[in-house]
Amino acid sequence: MSATVQQQSPSSSVGDQLAQLDAARNLVLGDAAYYPQIVQGILPIIGATARHELRRWGAEFLAETFASPILAMNTKESLSLIVLDTLLAMLVLEEEKEMETGVLKSVVQFAASVYPLVFRHTITNPNDAATWEKMNAIKTRILRLWDTAAPGVRICCMKFAQKVIQVQTPGTIADPRRPDQNEISLALVPRNHPLIPPPNLEAQASGLLDRLLNIFQENTSDAVLVNATLNCLGVLIKTRPSVSNKILNSVLNFNPLKLANSPMTAKIKIMVKSMERSTRALLLNANKRNPTGPLAGRIQQHLDRLMQSRMDIFDEGSRKRVLPSEPTDGLDPSKRLRLGTDIHGTPTPPLRLPPIPPLPMGPISFAQLFTLTADEELRSFDGIRTRYTALSQEQRMLEPSSLQGFDDDDDDYEPDFQPAEDDEQILNKLDNVTPGDGHDQEPEVALGPFKLPPPSPFSGEELEDISQGTVIRIFEFMNSLDEPSPAKRQKTGINRLAASNYDRDSWITVIARLATRTSTGLETDQDRIETEDGDVTERRRVTIGNKIRESLYVYVLEDFRKRIDIAIGWLTEEWYNERMQMKAGGDAIPRYEKWAIKVLDGILPYLDAKDNRVFTRYLSELPDLSKELLERVKTLCLDPERVQLVITSLQ
Amino acid sequence: MTADPRLARLAPRVDTPPNPPPPPPPAEYSSDVQPVGGFDGASDAQDARYSQGNGTQDDGGFKLKFCTVCASNQNRSMEAHLRLSQANYPVISFGTGSLVRLPGPTITQPNVYAFNTTSYDSMYKELDSKDPRLYRANGLLNMLERNRGVKWGPERWQDWRIGAPRLGNQRQKDKGSVGVEGGVVDVVITCEERCWDAVVDDLTNRGSPLNRPVHIINVDIKDNHEEALVGGRAILELADLLNEAARQERESKGTDGWHDGTSASRSGFDERVPEILADWQGRWPNLPALWTIAWF
Repeated sequence: MSATVQQQSPSSSVGDQLAQLDAARNLVLGDAAYYPQIVQGILPIIGATARHELRRWGAEFLAETFASPILAMNTKESLSLIVLDTLLAMLVLEEEKEMETGVLKSVVQFAASVYPLVFRHTITNPNDAATWEKMNAIKTRILRLWDTAAPGVRICCMKFAQKVIQVQTPGTIADPRRPDQNEISLALVPRNHPLIPPPNLEAQASGLLDRLLNIFQENTSDAVLVNATLNCLGVLIKTRPSVSNKILNSVLNFNPLKLANSPMTAKIKIMVKSMERSTRALLLNANKRNPTGPLAGRIQQHLDRLMQSRMDIFDEGSRKRVLPSEPTDGLDPSKRLRLGTDIHGTPTPPLRLPPIPPLPMGPISFAQLFTLTADEELRSFDGIRTRYTALSQEQRMLEPSSLQGFDDDDDDYEPDFQPAEDDEQILNKLDNVTPGDGHDQEPEVALGPFKLPPPSPFSGEELEDISQGTVIRIFEFMNSLDEPSPAKRQKTGINRLAASNYDRDSWITVIARLATRTSTGLETDQDRIETEDGDVTERRRVTIGNKIRESLYVYVLEDFRKRIDIAIGWLTEEWYNERMQMKAGGDAIPRYEKWAIKVLDGILPYLDAKDNRVFTRYLSELPDLSKELLERVKTLCLDPERVQLVITSLQ
Repeated sequence: MTADPRLARLAPRVDTPPNPPPPPPPAEYSSDVQPVGGFDGASDAQDARYSQGNGTQDDGGFKLKFCTVCASNQNRSMEAHLRLSQANYPVISFGTGSLVRLPGPTITQPNVYAFNTTSYDSMYKELDSKDPRLYRANGLLNMLERNRGVKWGPERWQDWRIGAPRLGNQRQKDKGSVGVEGGVVDVVITCEERCWDAVVDDLTNRGSPLNRPVHIINVDIKDNHEEALVGGRAILELADLLNEAARQERESKGTDGWHDGTSASRSGFDERVPEILADWQGRWPNLPALWTIAWF
C-alpha cells in the first residue's frame, strides 16, 4: 500500500489498488482502532496526483470516516489536522481542473464534517493559526463554489454552510464543567480568543444564514435546493434558539406552491408536491417539539392553508387517475371467510355442506322429495339437485365426523348456484321425512341441532340500550380509522361506489345512510320484525335514526371547518331519502330541513370572517335552501364583521 | 470463513487483474430472478454466486445503495428488498412501526413481535405451530419463508444507527448486504406516505450529523401480497432508472462537454431525480410517488 505502486504502473494496477483500499476499508469498518493508521496510510495514495478513480475512492472514504458515528470525537479531531492539506488540495484540484461532481460532493461533505473538529481544536489551541488558516481557505472556496457548482455539489455546499452556522452560533451549554461533552458551538469560545473572536464569527454565521434562507425568497424552481435546505434546517431550529424564529419566519413566508401557477407538467407536479410536503414536515416537526412556541399558532395556520391550497391544486389532477379501489387490507373479512374453503382443497363449491340434518337410511327418490312441494321452480331443479344431494351423501359417508367439527361461521355460507329460499324449503322437507334407523349416522350428528331456539324478543329499553351502544361503537370505530389524506383521495368519477374504500370517508357514508335509510329499509321487510307491533317499531326505528343523526351532528360540529363536506354529504342523503319517500307515497317526516337548520345554527356562532369558504360551500352545496335557512343567514348580517362573509356567500 | 462475501468479492479481481472488467453477463441477471419462495437451503450457494456476480459488477458498473422501508419490514419492503438484491443492488430494509404486526386469527388478535430481536425464522416456526392452515392460506407463512431467505429479522428504522458499519457473519448473510457495509445508502424508498413522513421526521430529529444527502422517495403500495409484487417490480424499475442517471454522472468526467458547461451535459444525478420520477410515474400511475432530498 505504498505510493510507489501507483506511480509505476498507473493503468493496470488501479483495480489492484482499489481492491487493497477496499480491504483496508473493511478492516477499519470491522475495528475502528485502525483508523489513524489507515487514514495516514492512504493519504499519499489518493493525493492530488493520483488517478481519478483513486481520488474518488479517497474522497468517499474520508467523507465516510469523518462522518462515522463509531469513531471517537477526539480521534477524529486529531485526524482532522492531518487531512487538512489533502482536503484543500483535493478541493483546489476538483474545483479548477476536474469538476467531477461525484468527487466534489464527497469532498465538500468531508469538509462539512471536518469543520467543527478543527473549530474545536482551535478553541483549545489559540496559537495554532496555521491550521485555522487552512480551514478558512477551505471555507472560502466552498462558499464560492456554492454559487457556481452543479446542483448536486451546491446542496453539499449549502449543507457545509449550515454546519458553519451551527458551529458559529451559540448553542446551549449542557454542562459547563465538562466542555468536551458539549456540542461544538460558539458558546464554547472564550470572548477574547485571538483567532476566532466570537462576535465576528457570529456575524459571519448570520450572513450565511441570510444567504441560506434567501432561497425561499428567490423565485426559485429548484426543488432539489429547496428541499435540501428545508431538510437541514431542523437542527438549527432545535438547537440554536437565537436564530430559530428567524428561520421559521422565513419558512412561513415561503410558498412552495408558487410554481403551481406555471403549466403543470409531471415533473413540476412532483417538485411542487415535494416542496410542499418538505415544508410541511419541517413545520410539523418544529411544532411538535415546541408546541407552545411563539410561532406555534402561525405555523398551524400556515399548515392548514397549505393543505387547503394543495387540495385545490391537485384535486383536478388526481381526478384523472381512475381506478376502482378495492379493499386490500390483509385482514379483509371476505378473504377471511374464504379461507375455510381453500384449505380444504375441495375441487368444487357444491361439496360444501350447508347444515342439513342427516338423511334417512336407504334411497330417497327425488320424485318423493320434489312432489312434496307445489313450487314450480323447485320441480324444474332436478339436475343440480340430484348432484347436490348425491354429493352430500357421498361426503357424509366419506367423512362422517366432519359434520361434528362444523363451525358456526359456516352457517352463513350459501353455495352460489342456488337461491337461499330453495335451500330452506328443501331442509324443511327433509325435516319432515321420518329418519330411518341410519347405521351410518353418528348419534352426535343426529343430536346436533341446526335450529337455534329463536332469541327472545328484546324489550323496548333493551333495544334502545343496544342501539345506543351500536351507535357509539360505530363512531368509535370511525375514529380509529385513518384520517384520509386529501392528497391521496382519488376521484373515481362515475364508477365510484359509496364505500369502496376502507377509510373514514366510506365509513361516514355508511353512517349517513344508516341514519337516513334504516327505517325505509326495515319497513319493507315485515316478516323479520313480526314479533313487535308495527307502530311501536316504527317509532323506535326513528329514534335510532335520530340517535345516529345526533351523533353525526356532534361529530360535524367538533371540527366543522374540516367536516363540512361530511355534513353536506349527510344532508344530501337526507334530502334524497325524503324525496324517495315522498315519491313512494309515504308521509315523509321533513328531517332534512330540520337538520340542515340545526347544523347551520350549530356553526353560526363560530363562523368568523375568514370562514367564507366553508360557509359558501355549505350554502351552495346543500340540495335545497329553504326560506327559514335564509332567515338564519340574515341574522348573521347583524354582526358588521361578518356581513362581508354573508354577501360573498350569497353571491 | 469460506463463505465470507468479502473474500469472495475480492478473490477474482486479485487473481486476474489485467482482464478488462467484463460487462455483467445478462444470463446472470435472469438466473437471479427466481420465483418467490423456496429460498431455504439454496441460500448458501446463492450467496456465493451472488457475491461473485457483484464482484464483477463493481468493476464494471456503479451501483446506488438502496434502503426500502414499510411499516413492519415484512411485506412490501421485503419484497422490494428481495427484488433489488436479486438485481445486485446493495440494499437494506426497515420498518417504521413501533412493533411488527402480522394478521392473526381475527382482526383484533394480531400477532405482535418486537423489532430487531425476533427473526423471521422464529416467527415462521411460531405461526406454523399455531395454525398452519390459516397462516398458509392467508400467505403469512409464504411471506415469512421468503423473508427468512432474505435476511435475519425485521429492523426498525428509528433504531438504525446510520453510518455504523454493518458487518458480522449474520449481516453478511443478508441479501444485498454487499456494498452497504458502511451503513449508509443513497436512496430510501418507502412504501407508504406514513412511512415517508416518519423517515423524514426522524432524519430531521437526528440533526443530519453525517452531512450526507439522501433521496427519500415514497412509492405508495397497498399492503397485500399481490400489490407488493407489483410494487417490487416498479421499485426495481425506478432503481434502474436512478442508477443509470447516477452512473452517467459518475462517468461524465472527462467528456468534452463538461468544461464548456452546457447545462444539459452538466446536469447531475440529484437534479435529475424529479424528472426521472415523473417519467416513471407516467408508467406507474397507480403507485403515487412522493420525493424529497434529506440528510443523514
